[in-house]
Amino acid sequence: MSLLNVEHVTQQFGGLTAVDDVSMQIEKGELIALIGPNGAGKTTLFNMLTGVNTPTSGKITMETAKGTVDIAGKRTDQVAALGMSRTFQNIRLFSEMTVLDNIKIAMTHKSHENFIETMLRLPSFYKTEDAIDSKSRALLKDFNLDPYVRSTAGSLPYGLQRRVEIVRALATKPQLLFLDEPAAGMNPEETADLSAVIQRIRNEYGVTIILIEHDMSLVMKLAQRIYVLDHGSMIAEGTPAEISQNAEVVSAYLGGEVVAEGK
Amino acid sequence: MKRNIRSNAIWLAIMIAGFVIMDGLEAAGLINTFIENAIVTVGINIILATGLNLIIGFAGQFSLGHAGFMAIGAYATGIITQQIASPLGFWLSMGIGIIIAIIAAIIIGVPTLRLRGDYLAIATMGASEIIRVIINNLKITNGPAGMFNIPQYATWPVVYVMVCITTIMIANFVHSRAGRAVMSVREDDIAAEAMGINTTKWKLAAFVFGAATAAIGGTLHASYIQTIAPGDFGIMNSISILIIVVLGGSGSLTGTILAAGVLGIIDTVLQNFGTLRMVIYALALILLMVFKPGGLLGRWELSFKKVNKKKGAPAE
Repeated sequence: MSLLNVEHVTQQFGGLTAVDDVSMQIEKGELIALIGPNGAGKTTLFNMLTGVNTPTSGKITMETAKGTVDIAGKRTDQVAALGMSRTFQNIRLFSEMTVLDNIKIAMTHKSHENFIETMLRLPSFYKTEDAIDSKSRALLKDFNLDPYVRSTAGSLPYGLQRRVEIVRALATKPQLLFLDEPAAGMNPEETADLSAVIQRIRNEYGVTIILIEHDMSLVMKLAQRIYVLDHGSMIAEGTPAEISQNAEVVSAYLGGEVVAEGK
Repeated sequence: MKRNIRSNAIWLAIMIAGFVIMDGLEAAGLINTFIENAIVTVGINIILATGLNLIIGFAGQFSLGHAGFMAIGAYATGIITQQIASPLGFWLSMGIGIIIAIIAAIIIGVPTLRLRGDYLAIATMGASEIIRVIINNLKITNGPAGMFNIPQYATWPVVYVMVCITTIMIANFVHSRAGRAVMSVREDDIAAEAMGINTTKWKLAAFVFGAATAAIGGTLHASYIQTIAPGDFGIMNSISILIIVVLGGSGSLTGTILAAGVLGIIDTVLQNFGTLRMVIYALALILLMVFKPGGLLGRWELSFKKVNKKKGAPAE
């Protein structure tokens, strides 16, 4: 059984079909890329997978410790608690809070402090808080963010904000991590750092990763399998080598006859 | 751990010192009824404003319905202590006021907290008006005439202790997992949801908590002033609590306490200026907002954990 099973999902907004009959299987430990021209429906698909939107039709199931769970119709926070986390195309950090607090917030749903403990400041409260604190700091240190622990998240340079956002997503202890255009707006140096971070997350933390990306060099370097979306339909699936040879994909990016025929 | 104990001990010492100073001044006869009245009003305002700050400053939900929850607490006390005229009746009435306010906050909060910004402000304002109109039309509340001769159990020490308790509770809420969850909703609710935070639940938690403290403020107000009428809990009352929050810095409990104190002093000093009072008061507010748009303290908090810096703010 795959970790994430997407069967024939369709998303319609009024008369517009943003995602049309898409199926995909993601195995545990894979690093998958989702590519396609602008407006192809990649982010819409991401939103369905992470519970932001409910698919018009189709089924999304995830393998968890408690068995197979249907994602469709669940609230975003419930999906996140199941072990799916994400970053956003336009960075969404808690920008006026410190980097440390950003990470601590991501650990909220895994930590348990009851009301009485919190109000009376029982020793168990301090114990939990200290544990969250040291875990957050360790995680930040692991990604070389320890100098910025006390910095306001919004004041960091772009590349670092991206990294904080990825680490924050990782702090929720996900099984599956969705990265929405993580390299957008980055210079080559920052992109190189980013690809190292992504690889470490998969190899050292054992997290399955799905990323949307326009930077083809990054995609070809990182991804094991690539799914290609165009006009809401999945037009190709395969290894980076296969995809780069695929005539339909090439024409979808460059514009051409094949797309018109494909419709 | 040691750090926490030390910090808590310092706060406790400040609270006790405040009480002793107040008690000493009272015993020495330096505090007349007028000044005591002003000080108690500041205390009640601190309770009301810290609760509203939790909703507006920390959870980022712009509520204009605080006076409605205050009215619930005030009327619960007015009605119950007139029947059971004993301290037990007073504390019972406070408990019942809190429970009714919590129920009302859940009923109001579930549908309205889906709204954002100004829409939420208007909806909560409407809800608070509904509470006021209901009170205005009930027999048990004595309608528009209000209630008189409510027994006075809320003396200044009672108010002082309640200020300490509510402030500690709100501060403890804010500096915990709950506080972080609530603040993440303020910062970016979409990201908060993606991090596994049930935003509806935490928004409601802050709203209900704030409403409960408003009911406590209402109870103390009714019992100290001894006279209440529906007109005391109108929109203007919600706004004057809001002014304290904004002035002190929404998102800073220390700021709220400071602002409640400063406004109390300005108000008392300006009593002698008659009609000019409101003009000067308004002018002071405008100047403050022009030069300090984030409020007196912004989001700064007095803390004894990091640096042992002393600053003369009341107990927290």
